[in-house]
Amino acid sequence: MSNKKLIQLSSFFLKLKSQPMTAVLFLCASFSIIILFLMLFFVAQEGAYAFTQFGSDLLFGMRWDLESNIFGGLPLLFGSLMVTFGALIIAIPIGVSTSIFVSEVLPFYLRDPIKSIIELLASIPSVLYGFIGLLVVVPFIQDVFGLPSGQTALTASAILSIMTIPTIVSVSGEIISAVPKNYKEAALGLGATKWETIKSVVLPISKSGILASIMLGFGRAVGETIAVSMVSGNQAHIASSYFEAIYTIPSFIATHMGEAAVGSTEYSALFGLGLILLIITFIVNTLADVVVKRGVHQ
Amino acid sequence: MVICILAFLWIITTILTGIGTFNAELLTTSALQGGYFEMIVGTIYLFLGAAAIAGPIGVFAAIYLVEYAPSGKITRIIDQAINNLAGVPSIIIGLFGYTLFSRQLGFDISLLSGWLTLSIMILPIVIRGSEEAIRIVPKAFKEAALGLGATKWKAISLTTLIAAAPGIVTSVILGIARVAGETAAILFTSSVIMTRGTPSSPLEPVMALSFNMYVKIVARGEGPESVFDIALILFLIVVTFSLVAIILRIYYRRKQPWLS
Repeated sequence: MSNKKLIQLSSFFLKLKSQPMTAVLFLCASFSIIILFLMLFFVAQEGAYAFTQFGSDLLFGMRWDLESNIFGGLPLLFGSLMVTFGALIIAIPIGVSTSIFVSEVLPFYLRDPIKSIIELLASIPSVLYGFIGLLVVVPFIQDVFGLPSGQTALTASAILSIMTIPTIVSVSGEIISAVPKNYKEAALGLGATKWETIKSVVLPISKSGILASIMLGFGRAVGETIAVSMVSGNQAHIASSYFEAIYTIPSFIATHMGEAAVGSTEYSALFGLGLILLIITFIVNTLADVVVKRGVHQ
Repeated sequence: MVICILAFLWIITTILTGIGTFNAELLTTSALQGGYFEMIVGTIYLFLGAAAIAGPIGVFAAIYLVEYAPSGKITRIIDQAINNLAGVPSIIIGLFGYTLFSRQLGFDISLLSGWLTLSIMILPIVIRGSEEAIRIVPKAFKEAALGLGATKWKAISLTTLIAAAPGIVTSVILGIARVAGETAAILFTSSVIMTRGTPSSPLEPVMALSFNMYVKIVARGEGPESVFDIALILFLIVVTFSLVAIILRIYYRRKQPWLS
C-alpha cells in the first residue's frame, strides 16, 4: 500500500472517530461485509476436515457412502448444474422477451400492474413452488411422458425456471429501460421499425445487463433448495437424460444435515459441499456485478 | 410476459382450489388437536423479529451509503458485499446460522437463532429499498434544515428520513414477504415439527408453516394434499404482504410529486 493511500485510509477512520453518528452508520453498512466473512469462515472451518481428508474427491468423487466413509460429490454437482442449465434454457427466452416487451412495447399504464405480478411471483416462497410442483407438474410430466415417476430433472428445471424468471426480468428490464431515448428515436427517425430498433439498438446496448441478469438467475437457481428437493426425486447419480431423478447439492445438504452427527466426517463433508456452493454463487454474483458496471461505463 | 401472467394465475387457482375443504376453525385450534394455531403464530413471530433486527441496521446502512459514504474503495466493497449477501443461497445462510447462532453462541434450536438467521436474508432487501427511498428525496429538504443550522445527522433524520419513511416501510414489508415462507434458513436453526403451545421465550424452538409443509412432504412422505391448508394460509400471508408493499409504493409515488 502506498503512503498516500495509507494517509487517505487513516484520515477516513479518524473522521469516523470524531463523528460518533457517522461511525455507527458506517458500522451498520459494514455489517454485510462482516457477515459474509463470518459465513465464509464458519462454513470453511466446519468443512475443512472433509477437504483435508478427501481433497478434490469431495468435488469429483463418484460415490457418497456413509458406511464405507467415502464422500464424493460429483453426482450432486452434476445434478445441480443439470437442473440449473435446464431451468435457464426455459427461463432465458421467456425472461428476456418479457423484459423487452414490458419496457419497450407495453403501454405505460400497464407497466406497473405487470411488474407487480412479476414481483409477486418472486415473493412466493420456494416451499409453495415445491408444493405446486408435486400437486400439478409431477403428475403432468408422469402422464405426458409415460414415466414411472414424475419426479425428474425436467420437473425440477420447469419449477426452477418459473422461480428464475422474475430475477432475469427485473434486472434486465431495468437495464433495457435505461437505454437513452434519443438512441431509439434516432433509429426510428431513420425509418427503422419498432422491432428493428429493438434488435439493432436496444439489445446491443443492454447486452451486458442481460448477461448479468442471466448470471444472477444462475446464482439463484443453483442454490435453490426446498422446491428442488421436493420435485427432483432425490437420487444421486449421473443422469443420462432429463427424465431421470437427480439430487442437487443444496437439497442433499437439507435432507442429510438432520441425520449427520455434529462433528462427524459426514457433517464436515456436508459443510464442504456448502462451501463449494457458496464459492460458486460468490463467483457468479461478483462477475455479474462486474459485467453490469462495465456495461454502464460503456 | 403472457407466460408470467398465466403462471401466476395458474398458481393462484391451484392454491385456491384448497379453499373448498378449508375449515376456519382450524386456524385457532392447537396443533396437538390437528389445528394450525402454533404454526401461524410461530411464522409471525419469526418474521416480525427478523424484521425488527434487520430494519434499523438496514436503514442506517442505507443512510450511510447515500448520505455519508465517500466514493472510494471501501464504499465499493460494501456495495459489492451487499449484492453478494443477497445472492447467497438460503441453505448456506441456514448452515451459517446453525454454526454461529445455534452452536457457537449457544442459542440452540430457538426463535432467537431463527430471528438472527432470517434477518441476514432481509438485510439486503431493506438496504436496497431504503437506499432508493432516501435517494429520491430532493436535496433541498435537507439543505433547508442545514441552512437553519442543523447538524448533518439532525438534518437527515428530521427531513430526509421522514420524507423517505413510506419507501423504507415498503422495503421492510417486502423483506417480510420474502422470508415469511422461508424454509431452508430455519430448517436447522429454529423450527421443530411440534411444540406444546407457542414459545414463551426467544430461546425456545418454534413451529412454522413452511417448515411443517416441507417436513411432512419430504421426511414423512405424505402426499401434497395433506398440507393443502397450510399452503393456503402461507400463500395468503405472503401475498398479502407483497400486495401491501406494492400498493403502498404505487400510492406514495402518486402522492409525492417529487418522486416521479
